[in-house]
Amino acid sequence: MLSAIGKSIAALALACAIIAAVVLALGASPVGVFAALWEGAFGSWYAAADTIVKATPLIFTGLAVSVAFSGSLWNIGADGQLIAGAIAAGAIGPYLGGWPRPAAIILTLCAGAIGGAIWGGICGWLRARRDTNEVISTIMMNFVAAQVLSWVVHGPLIEASGAYPQSMAIAPSARMYMPLEPTRLNPAIVLAIVLAAGCYLLLFHSRAGFELRAMGRNRRAAAFYAIPIARLTIAALALSGALAGIGGAVQVSAITHRLYEKFSPGWGFEAIAVALVARLNPFGIIAAAIFFGALDNGSQAMQRTQGVSPVLVQVIQGLVIMILLAFDTPAWTRIRGGLFARSRDSAPPIEPGAQADA
Amino acid sequence: MLSARNISMRFGRTLALDRVDFEAAPGQIHALVGENGAGKTTLMNIIAGRLRPDLGGVWLDGAALRRGSAARALRAGIAAVNQSPMLFERFTWEENLALGGFGIAGFDLAAVAARSRALADKLGFTLPAAGGTIEQRSIAERVRLEVLRALSFDPRVLILDEPTGVLAPAELAPFLELLSRLRAEGRVIVLITHKLAEAVAVADRITVLRQGRVVAHTTAAETSESALARLMIGEIDIPRSPSAPAAHAGETALSVEDLALDRDRARVLDSVRFDVRAGEIAGVAGVDGNGQAELVEVIAGARRARRGRVSASSATAIAVIPENRDLDGLILDMPIWENLLLAPALRDRFAPHGWLRRRAALELCRTLLARFRIRAAGPEAPAAALSGGNRQRLEVARAIAAEPRVIVAHNICRGLDLAGAADVHRALVEFAATGGAVLLISSDLDELFALCGRIFVMSRGRVRETEPADREPARLGMLMAGNWQ
Amino acid sequence: MLDAFLNSAIAMATPILLAALGELIVEQSGVINIGIEGAMLCGAFFALVGAYFTGSTIAGIAAGIAAGVAINAILAFLVVNLSVSQVVAGTALDILAAGITGVLYRRLFGITGMAFMVKPMARLAFGPLTRIPILGAVVFHHNAFVYLAFATVPVIGFVLWRTRYGLTLRAAGERPEAADALGLGVYRLRWHALLASGVLTGLAGAYLTLAYANTFVENISGGRGFVALAVVILGRWNPWGIAAASVLFGAAMALQFGLQALGTAVPYQLFLALPYALTLVVLAGFGGQAASPSALGEPYRRP
Repeated sequence: MLSAIGKSIAALALACAIIAAVVLALGASPVGVFAALWEGAFGSWYAAADTIVKATPLIFTGLAVSVAFSGSLWNIGADGQLIAGAIAAGAIGPYLGGWPRPAAIILTLCAGAIGGAIWGGICGWLRARRDTNEVISTIMMNFVAAQVLSWVVHGPLIEASGAYPQSMAIAPSARMYMPLEPTRLNPAIVLAIVLAAGCYLLLFHSRAGFELRAMGRNRRAAAFYAIPIARLTIAALALSGALAGIGGAVQVSAITHRLYEKFSPGWGFEAIAVALVARLNPFGIIAAAIFFGALDNGSQAMQRTQGVSPVLVQVIQGLVIMILLAFDTPAWTRIRGGLFARSRDSAPPIEPGAQADA
Repeated sequence: MLSARNISMRFGRTLALDRVDFEAAPGQIHALVGENGAGKTTLMNIIAGRLRPDLGGVWLDGAALRRGSAARALRAGIAAVNQSPMLFERFTWEENLALGGFGIAGFDLAAVAARSRALADKLGFTLPAAGGTIEQRSIAERVRLEVLRALSFDPRVLILDEPTGVLAPAELAPFLELLSRLRAEGRVIVLITHKLAEAVAVADRITVLRQGRVVAHTTAAETSESALARLMIGEIDIPRSPSAPAAHAGETALSVEDLALDRDRARVLDSVRFDVRAGEIAGVAGVDGNGQAELVEVIAGARRARRGRVSASSATAIAVIPENRDLDGLILDMPIWENLLLAPALRDRFAPHGWLRRRAALELCRTLLARFRIRAAGPEAPAAALSGGNRQRLEVARAIAAEPRVIVAHNICRGLDLAGAADVHRALVEFAATGGAVLLISSDLDELFALCGRIFVMSRGRVRETEPADREPARLGMLMAGNWQ
Repeated sequence: MLDAFLNSAIAMATPILLAALGELIVEQSGVINIGIEGAMLCGAFFALVGAYFTGSTIAGIAAGIAAGVAINAILAFLVVNLSVSQVVAGTALDILAAGITGVLYRRLFGITGMAFMVKPMARLAFGPLTRIPILGAVVFHHNAFVYLAFATVPVIGFVLWRTRYGLTLRAAGERPEAADALGLGVYRLRWHALLASGVLTGLAGAYLTLAYANTFVENISGGRGFVALAVVILGRWNPWGIAAASVLFGAAMALQFGLQALGTAVPYQLFLALPYALTLVVLAGFGGQAASPSALGEPYRRP
């Protein structure tokens, strides 16, 4: 386990080293950039609180991606599933005025879960029953979701004056509690952590979780031993979508209170970096999400004070994923062995013969 | 003159070859014999340039060959035929041969076909009609095509890895005759086999490998099958497989009725009907590729038959041990104890309501590791850390721990040394003695004769029960070839 | 009206077609390149940078091609030499490309991204032929990119199915172990495929900035790379099928403008979503992957 964490930390460190070089090439100061990032992310209580707020959607989408990836289901559509959940929340939110607040919030979040579950479940069904590559289908559903969002904010759900392309505000009873004003820190982070714990228990302490992981590691063997591949595929992608959908509903309920175009700044893709850094472990997702949330938060300050575009964090995300992939290969183990080995004969043969001819 | 010197090769922690020297002269058939896992295929792959050895090199007529380059080896004149044919399934046979020695310049498929037919005629093969992909060809045809492709390179050295394993007994003689003809042309023929009778009958020189080391170079005249056997397994006592129990008339534990399965317009299973009774070890003899794998998949529930039924007292009454242990039987990335959970019965036992009882499962794992003498670091170690023999023991342990009524085992001793095989056989006999039923699907006649009461024979998707009178190798061989008079 | 629509359909099909042909080569060799979107985006950006700062369209095209090749080279190293997960590596490159182009764009052109434009590419002159009704607009009224793209279709078909090189490339995608055992060199072939695809994808990106929009906006590729992936499947891994599927998508994209102009009651988002939804429907109907190369997407390591 320790070496798994070590790999993630080493990857992040290497990515930062490369970023420093890139920043230098751009004519900015690496020290300045990292200082600005830190300052923007943790420099004050408000900043730290906002880092958590920015990390929250990453926890939801990160969990979504992890659950799917654990079954070797490549869900690149967490963005679309998040948007579907947000749309569902934004659609019923305005009409929950008469409900008691806890119930309204729960309903809103449930709507988000259902919306996301449908969005993910469709791709699961396509894979299970029609052998449609889920990478393609989830990506396509991202685009469809973006268009549906565009339509509802210009059309059916448009706010009262009709002047701005955004949806009606959700009723005050559907809005998340904000106990720590003026920060935006809210109980959704607690929900996220609870869901992470739930995902952990599901993946590692339940029968369905075992079957999902088995299917992810070796589909043939899973089929051989009566693991219900089709049902698991649909359920896993639906659950994955539901998690992302709750994330979307949380954004609507707690932060934006309404819908507008370009609702997700790419959380679904960023979630892939989060999931890999966390090695698909739900508790690791929390830490990784906070890290990337800090980067997102700090990037605004970085832009203001250093003049570097905030999308630099996307370069970091891409680099981190590639470095982690490289670290995981036997090729890297060989290179590392070559760099650090003393003598070729240091490892004695343990079992001559045996499995070579398998 | 082909010579390989000081070849060493390690895979992970396993030393597959240890300072092996091997020489073969033109105009000779040189047999390379050894148990499964002795390193024969690895040596072949190194000589053919497909694998790069850690130490040592290969020379042909004094010229050193670039290690790890299959292209150079082919150009130098070394061609190899694999144990299971490595053809391109979705291409036509002409395209497959075009990637061999005939298609070197340009892309004229008709010319390739013409030259192929000419060569095939010379060798006494028939080639399939034009077009049609390899997927539809039978396994014997594939072997012939792969041999043809190897010969299209006009190789000075031809290496064949267990070529007779998939041939029916009737096709053996013509094949060995073909080898003699090739030898007469002055080529170097290397025949890799674990069948000692074959080696003694055909080879001029014989090299014996045991656990990665050369233990003997000899000639057919100077040795005998039993001497070779002793060299192959060392000076330990050959463990005797327990003798077959008397056939019980116990109740039916597994019944297969009228199974039919088609694939690509070929009948893979054809009205298969048989049953297995409690307390007996029933065998299904057959050459690989006649529907055995599909039969196992249908019984396991991994594939649905077009027609027919598999019945047992309950779904979890059947425990299946598939042939392809690393691909189908185990999940190598997962820890050993989680591999146990692959068995549906064990999953039911340790996760009846969805919640995994980890501690209990780990406990069972420890017990099984001890009882079946599986060498492992612990229940949490990944299955990949186990050697081949220990993986097989794990699968047997899992099957028995699931407390089934019937165990279905496919080529269960492939890749095991004699001691390991004896262990497995003993476990199966014990299982039968306590009232379990065993269905042993195998191409190894020795195993079947040693263990089984009733023996069925399977050929081209059809299964037929044999008489006691059929219980001798030549007769059974004919039945396996499909001669069902 | 119809003329303009058909012309627009072909024009919008062009970058998709170029990228899809590149992807076809790559998939025939056994690799699935999710990073195609990132390569197209980089091709678009660097083509514009090249053309803007040198004043020469040719230099821009060359820069775009170089960028596409560079991105694909990174992917090639990861998925061929290191045999990592092709899907995840491709996604990483998409994110990376969005980041790189975004950062450089703002660095070079400031925060407001004041429109820096290049002069539009001229359409080739065919004189009186362009005035033929319908056919004139479809065939004779395009810039050089379009003709290049469609001309590439039979060329790719020929190379892949009528040459020995193409056969070896397809062998690498069919069964890489067997191909290596025959000394064909799977790693080398997959590198070739990815580099060749980099050229085509870079060209597709260059089209977007040099011939279509004449400027750059962030994420100008707008998912066309992903659409190219779908087009390869829809076209059943056949160059002519891919050409047809590309035109289908081009038409769907062209529809949105026509309909906005008409001001119908139907929301224009429906037509923007149509290509993507259509892909799903067709994929569901045709049952996906049966015609794909057997080893597609599986990481392969030389023994």
